Amino acid sequence: MNFNIRKGLDLKLDGIAEEVIEMLAVPEYCHIRPSDFRWLKPRLLVAEGDTVDIGTPLFADKADERIRIVSPAKGQIKEIVRGEKRIIECITIAVNRNAGLTMPVVFEDSEEVESIRSLLLRYGLWPCLRQRPFSVIPSPDAKPKAIFISCFDTAPLAPHIPYLMQGKEEHFIAGLQILQKAAGKGTPIHLCMKEGESLQPESTTQNIHIHHFAGPHPSGNVGPQIHRISPMDKGESVWYVHPLDVARIGRFFQNHILGFDTIFALTGPIAHKPHYYSCIYGTDLTEVFRQQTATIDELEVSTEKDAVDNETAQTKTHPAQSAKCRIISGNILSGKQLQHKPSLQFYDHQLTLIPEGGEREILGWLLPGVKKWSFSHTFTAWLRKHKAFYFNTSQHGDHRNFVMTDIYEKVFPYNNIPPLELLKACMTKDIDKMEELGIYEVDDEDFALCEVICPSKMPCQEIIMEGLRKVRE
Amino acid sequence: MSLTNLSDRIRKHFEKGKPLHCFSSLFDAIDTFLLTPRTVTTSGSHIRDAVDLKRIMITVMIALVPALLFGLWNTGYQHYLILGQASTFWKCFAYGFLKWLPLVIVTYVSGLAVEVSFAQWRGKQVEEGFFVTGFLIPMIMPPDIPLWIVAVATIFATFFAKEVFGGTGYNFLNPALVARAFVFFAYPSVISGNSVWVSGTTDAMTGATPLSQLMNGGEPVSSYLDMFIGTIPGCIGETSKIAILLGAIVLLYTQVASWRIMLSVIAGGFITGSLFHLTGLCPVNGWQQLLMGGFLFGAVFMATDPVTATHTKTGKYIYGLLIGILAIVIRVINKGYPEGMMLAILLMNIFAPLIDYCVLQIMIKKRKKNIRQHQHQS
Repeated sequence: MNFNIRKGLDLKLDGIAEEVIEMLAVPEYCHIRPSDFRWLKPRLLVAEGDTVDIGTPLFADKADERIRIVSPAKGQIKEIVRGEKRIIECITIAVNRNAGLTMPVVFEDSEEVESIRSLLLRYGLWPCLRQRPFSVIPSPDAKPKAIFISCFDTAPLAPHIPYLMQGKEEHFIAGLQILQKAAGKGTPIHLCMKEGESLQPESTTQNIHIHHFAGPHPSGNVGPQIHRISPMDKGESVWYVHPLDVARIGRFFQNHILGFDTIFALTGPIAHKPHYYSCIYGTDLTEVFRQQTATIDELEVSTEKDAVDNETAQTKTHPAQSAKCRIISGNILSGKQLQHKPSLQFYDHQLTLIPEGGEREILGWLLPGVKKWSFSHTFTAWLRKHKAFYFNTSQHGDHRNFVMTDIYEKVFPYNNIPPLELLKACMTKDIDKMEELGIYEVDDEDFALCEVICPSKMPCQEIIMEGLRKVRE
Repeated sequence: MSLTNLSDRIRKHFEKGKPLHCFSSLFDAIDTFLLTPRTVTTSGSHIRDAVDLKRIMITVMIALVPALLFGLWNTGYQHYLILGQASTFWKCFAYGFLKWLPLVIVTYVSGLAVEVSFAQWRGKQVEEGFFVTGFLIPMIMPPDIPLWIVAVATIFATFFAKEVFGGTGYNFLNPALVARAFVFFAYPSVISGNSVWVSGTTDAMTGATPLSQLMNGGEPVSSYLDMFIGTIPGCIGETSKIAILLGAIVLLYTQVASWRIMLSVIAGGFITGSLFHLTGLCPVNGWQQLLMGGFLFGAVFMATDPVTATHTKTGKYIYGLLIGILAIVIRVINKGYPEGMMLAILLMNIFAPLIDYCVLQIMIKKRKKNIRQHQHQS
């Protein structure tokens, strides 16, 4: 089926990744963070100094100990960093650099739902699945009503998924078949593609539906896709998986190879030569940043020089560049800022570098704002809206109550779910109202654009996340 | 020393525990007025739109400027016209300006005093909503109104229509209209229902608006062209329909105001006016109704207030239509209140949540029906 999503917004930024893959060397360290998995309460299964192999469980979910997060590499546990209330922040593995990135595994092939699920759980591939509502790892006993695989990403500067999938088509098909068996016989799989793109030749498996979507972000998010193809009621759940993870599962069952190798795109207006990297999950990215920072520092020096005699240089490099840069795992809309021990989050395939903002401007609310991006037309910059803007992390104002009550709908791609009312229901913790208005269909990332364009600077994603947490309890 | 450094140095004295802390909201308001805030994103999206409420409010004020400038000139023009004195453009303008200036100062001082005190009491920042309210109030008051009445009305409106409910964003009545309604009902002698004021004249010379003349069965003195251009007696803001339309263009172009509301108010007014005309109840036809009184000003600047209007898309059409209908009905049926726009908007402000509630129930039902249909198909 074809769908045309009209509501949404494509943000134009410089720094899309060039389609070149650089293989990163086997990292010295891997950092695994329980916070990559939403609401997972970890029970530690290893101690500092333990040796681990690919697939050795590091921690399990306290809620269901069958769900385990495993080590992506062979090595030794170097450090377990705990934060406030002894919460596990990060597990650092010193990687054995002589070992490979993948590992052969011996198991007996089976068509049974139970044995497929237990293999996925045992080798740490189960967390590749996530379920809506809540975007959490599904329970090992769950019966989803469908599986969704979004084969395109519409977020700003997002990686081109068909490019990531090159050479993995066979594994992808195998993965689809395994997922269908794991979910239960007859569970429909919905492959959502961008209009005009096809990921791979027609699949042979039954009950796989291919849908094409057109329209701006967030048409690539699974939320709006599920909403159109198979909307959820209370008590129902849907699984969704990233195509790379489908291929990973496919390779595991087809070739009996376990590996947590991944590809990510380095993007962003201040990224030096944005392109793709191939590495393993948890790879310590310090070295990548060292190269990047050196380039940013160079830029800074050259900007200062240029600024004296060349005005065009000023327009190209943002003043905030000279201050700092923010490193985000994921996209600028719903990614997470990386600080110490930088590594990509489990579900992310993108790294974005943007300049930090925060500089003050005299009477900024009054000036025409030629270079200020705004969804509203209150700045003259919208006249050049087809050009890429220099975004920084400035909030451009302080938090206020809701005033502009009709703007959220313009970027919110759900029918018959009123974004403002849902936000208000979440703020007042009115569970009945949240359920009535359709909280189970949405996720915080679907509210990212509402948050971006909100003149009251409402933390919409946080509000929805809290709402979801409340209804889950 | 740059302004930013100066601000940083002074800020220390307003922190908690410091002697000037009781003025921190005021300092913050002035500080963020002069310099954009330093805040960077900490949760959720890492980038944000450049627009904030200050920008939205200033856009509304820019949209009001044509109506204001024309109104200032017209106040003087009407004054000299009725006295039969010769005048120049600048003389008229200066007269109007000098009448308006004290009004606007009193409005802002009294209103902001309430706003700042509440902000300080709540430990929050001063909200920008009053910028527009304070700008609107002098535009919908008679030019000769005693200043103390303006102050009382402004304080009443800010306090009872806004702050007691939690400030900008939580109010359900348009504060500027509440201020006017307060004067209208509490001091009817200064803002009578069926006659309007020409500044600097005695009571005996109070001019009647075309509206009240018509309602009382007479022929309008002013032509419809005059009403369109605005060279008629009336409040500062409401007389020139050209200037209001210019403002409407700014609001629609910048997407600050809802075109749905504007359009449906005008449609409601036009349809009702035409119906009354066709049934012979009123000599004025639909489009003429739109040119009279504060109808257009209300439709463009008052009904579109995003906080007090309905929040749902469908609700906006209903809300707007009902305002248009009610305004004309009040005008035609009750000759005591020819200016029905203010009452219509305030009444619909009260009903807006109900309209939204009904629209939401329909949306909920539709969504559930959609889910059932999909379940049935699979």
